Formats: sequence, C-alpha cells, structure tokens
Amino acid sequence: MNRRKAQNRLKPALAPAASGASVARVRWNLRAWREQHRHSLTASLRRLAARPLATTLTLAVLALALTLPLLFWLLLDNARALGGTLEDAGALSAFLKPDRDVAAAQALAARWRERADIATVEVKTPEQGLEEFRSQSGFADALKVLHYNPLPAVLVITPRADAHEAGAALADELRRDPAVDLVQYDAQWRQRLSAILAAGSRAAGVLALLLALAALLVVGNTVRLDIQGRREEIAVMQLLGASDGFVRRPFLYTGFWYGVLAGGLSLAVTGLVEWTLAAPLAQLAASYDHRFGLHGLSLAGTLLVLGGSTALGWLGAWLTASRHIALGQPG
Amino acid sequence: MLRIDPRVAVHAPCGHCPFPILHFRRSAVIRFDNVSKRYDTGHEALAELSFEIGAGEMAFVTGHSGAGKSTILKLIALQERATRGQIAVNGHDLARTGRRGIPQLRRGIGMVFQDHRLLLDRSVFDNVALPLVIAGTARDETAKRVRASLDKVGLLEREQALPLALSTGEQQRVGIARAIVAKPPLLIADEPTGNLDPQLAGEIMGLFGEFQRVGTTVLVASHDLPLIKRLGKRVLVLDHGRLIDDFRPLP
Repeated sequence: MNRRKAQNRLKPALAPAASGASVARVRWNLRAWREQHRHSLTASLRRLAARPLATTLTLAVLALALTLPLLFWLLLDNARALGGTLEDAGALSAFLKPDRDVAAAQALAARWRERADIATVEVKTPEQGLEEFRSQSGFADALKVLHYNPLPAVLVITPRADAHEAGAALADELRRDPAVDLVQYDAQWRQRLSAILAAGSRAAGVLALLLALAALLVVGNTVRLDIQGRREEIAVMQLLGASDGFVRRPFLYTGFWYGVLAGGLSLAVTGLVEWTLAAPLAQLAASYDHRFGLHGLSLAGTLLVLGGSTALGWLGAWLTASRHIALGQPG
Repeated sequence: MLRIDPRVAVHAPCGHCPFPILHFRRSAVIRFDNVSKRYDTGHEALAELSFEIGAGEMAFVTGHSGAGKSTILKLIALQERATRGQIAVNGHDLARTGRRGIPQLRRGIGMVFQDHRLLLDRSVFDNVALPLVIAGTARDETAKRVRASLDKVGLLEREQALPLALSTGEQQRVGIARAIVAKPPLLIADEPTGNLDPQLAGEIMGLFGEFQRVGTTVLVASHDLPLIKRLGKRVLVLDHGRLIDDFRPLP
C-alpha cells in the first residue's frame, strides 16, 4: 500500500500516511535507482550499436592507445625476468692466457684462495669450457670442425664482500696479474642492464600516462559529439524533470562500455602479439639453451588493465558530460 | 493520520522543503506576485504581473503575439527566471529553487508544447513512458500507466508507431498523453492547438477540460479567442506584458 502511494505522490490526492512513509520512500528510491541504471545501461549499449562504424573506430583508437604501453611494459617485464635468470652477478671470470695450462691455473687458484677478500675460486679447465660451450651455445656442429680446443682455463671467483665496489676493485687487481688475459665482471653489465630497464620503465610510465590522457580525450570528444547530436532529446528530458544525473548517466555508461571494450580489445591484441612472437622467441631461446619463455600478463595484470581502461572511459565521459549538460539550464 | 482534501492540497509532502505543512495551507497552485521579466536583449516581456490560479482551476492566457504568454509558462517551469517579483508553483518558491530543485519542480508539471517535442527516434509508447522512466517507476507499472494515458487520448492502438507516422493532431495527443502520464497536479500548454484545424483544436481543448474535471490544474496559453470563449473558462488577457483583463466565468 505504501509503495503505491509513494508512486502516486505527485498526484493531487491524499498524502501518504506519515507512519512507514520513510521506509516506503527508501524502498522506492532503491527501486527507482535500479530502474534508472538498467535503463541507462541498455540505452547506452543501443546507442553504441546504432553507429557500428563510429563505435568501432573509436574502440580501435582507444585499444591502440592502451596496447602500445601494455606491449612496451610486457617487453620490459620479460627483459627483467631474463636478467634474473643469468648467473650470480657477484662472480668474476678470469680468463687465463692461452699458454697457461691447468696446473698453472690450479696454482693461481690456490694463491688467490688465500686472499682475505675472496670467498671461493673455481677452476674451469678448457675441456669443461668446451663441453659447456658445445651444450649451450648451439655451435656444437661448428665446434666439431675444430681440431684443437681454443678455450683457455677460466677461474670463477666469488668475492667475499657483497659491495660491488669491492668486486670492481678486485677485477682491476686481477687484470694486472701477468697470467690473466681478460677479466669479465658480470655485475657491471648487470648494473647497466638494470639502469636501462629502469629508464625503460620510466619511459613506459610516461608513455602510458600520455596515452591514457589521449584515451581520456578520445572518449571525452566522442561523448561531446554524442551530446551535441542529442541536444533536443536532452532538452526534452530536462523539461520532463530529468536530473543532471539522469541525463548524464547514459553517457557515463557509454564511456564505461568504451573502456571495457577497448580494454578487452587491447588485451586481445596483446595476446595476439605474444602468440605471434612466442614461436620465434622460443626458437631463439632454445638455441641459447636459456629456456626463457615469453610470459604474458598475470590475472591481476589483466584485471588491472580492464579496470584501468574502464575507469578511463568513465572518467572521460564524466568530465565532458558534466560540463556540457550543465549548459542550457538556467542557474 | 493526515487526510487532506485533494482540492486544497497543492502537492504531497516532498521531503525536501523546510516547511512541508505550508503546502497544505496554500490553495493556489500558481501565484505570481509583481513579476517582471526583462530578457538580456532588453526586451521587457512581463511587467508587474500578479495573479493566482487555484487548485483544480482551468485558465487560459491570451493576448497578441509577443504579449508574454509563453514567458509566463517558461517562468512557471523555470526555463527562465523572473527579473523581479515572486513566483510560487506547486508550493515551490521559484526564487529559492536552485538548479538541483528544478527537476523536482518540473516533475510536478505536465508540459504540452505547440510543436509537441516528441523524440522522433522512439515509439509512441517510449515517448509517453519518458516521464515515468525519469521518475524511476517500475516497468510493469509504467506499461500500465502509459496504456491508460494513451487510452485517454484515443491512441492506444498506435503505441508502437513512430511519431512521424502520425498526423499532426495525433502527435499533439501523444504529447498530451506524455504530459499527464505521471499524473502531475499542474498541466501547462503553450499554444497546443496552434498547428491544428478548428475541429482538432476543439477536441484537444476538450481533453484539457477532462483533465480539469479529475482535479488537475490547467493553464493554457492560446491566441485562439473564439475557441477560448466557447469553453467558458477563466481567461487572463495580456497586452505588452501587462495583465489587462482577468475574466472569470460565473459559477
């Protein structure tokens, strides 16, 4: 009974009973709210479907704007993972001169083991080195042609101190030893790699920000054109008592759909790119025996992309709709 | 339990006015008190206009073109704001009704326009349902009320037609069905018969008379003097924005 009265509250008839009126009002408001959202949801979808070409183009632009930073970020993420699979960064490799034999290498190792700043010294004989090279480099066939082993003995040294300055100083000192031909210090290039990755991350962030802004403008502009095309309809609805929120809502849902669909499309494109690259990269990885697989987005990442693009669509629509719908109403 | 005579109640407590009890004391649905309206162009549309229209009353506003008929209706629905003076509509003090209060005010007013202002890409049913959709009425209730409303204007069988498939008179009747579907206490119409031949115009005016009989307050702006005279209702006559005559029929 209360519900019916509440619906008829604009009728010049009996006022609803005072008791229970507020409960009925809350129920009415909730139902009205649900009805209006359902209406806006379907109305916005109908509007998108009514102009398939324009909608597709807008979606394509939005998806592109989302896909570019996403791919860039994935590339970086994979590079970072690749860096992580490399050998212990703290170790130095000292390649001895070719004329030094294994005995000389063992003697040198024993001498260095006594040093306070060195934790371990491991000797790799030329034979071990050749075996490793044969199994990992993919040049096994080429190596068969060789009649002798061109590889020198290698000492793998782990410094005691963790600080990379100590490692660098040690590398300099080892380089001065007459038996040593070359010292390879991984930490240095690892550092460079991580610096490159950090710079790349920052670039990806800036790119993502700029393209998010572009996406915002694209949605905003699309909604603005939509509002201009519906000026008469909006005016009529306002005359019939539609609130700004009611008029704005279908446009917000339009932005919402653009965001969801563009996010989904961009994830699909990213997946397609991954799929295209997976086979050749796997081949490359196999040839290096690194066994790095291309890894895609995690579930959390996928949801984040979808959520982010949806929020962008909604925000773009909200910014435009709020501004344009307020025009044409007296203050 | 509060029981109010429908002819006295201006509208039910709406929950957002500070003094809801005032709604029951006032008997005027529309009250103009020394209202002037000057447009930005400098044109003075209304000058010191005062009148009241009681609940359940039907009145016409007439006058030459540019006399201020449309301006009165625009002020009532807050499409324009008065330059000076006080206006009360359905218990809303319009000077105190801000942007956010406008939708609530307009939901209490059924509006009929000369050019009907139907949405041409939607069916007759959807057009008439619009005020209920805006108010958030449940779907089954909406369908029921839309059909009742269309039945009242004699267009029940055309509910799925598009407005452009209808004749001018039928379009205007759809506009009227839309204006009354939410059962507003006040119905205002701006030249509703302006585009119609005399017979159709008479039918439309007859419809307004029916709504008055069920308790709706009706205000119609029209320059069709012969038709107005025939109906024998109250007539406000404007000239250059001033009220020069307020003719009331004998009871």
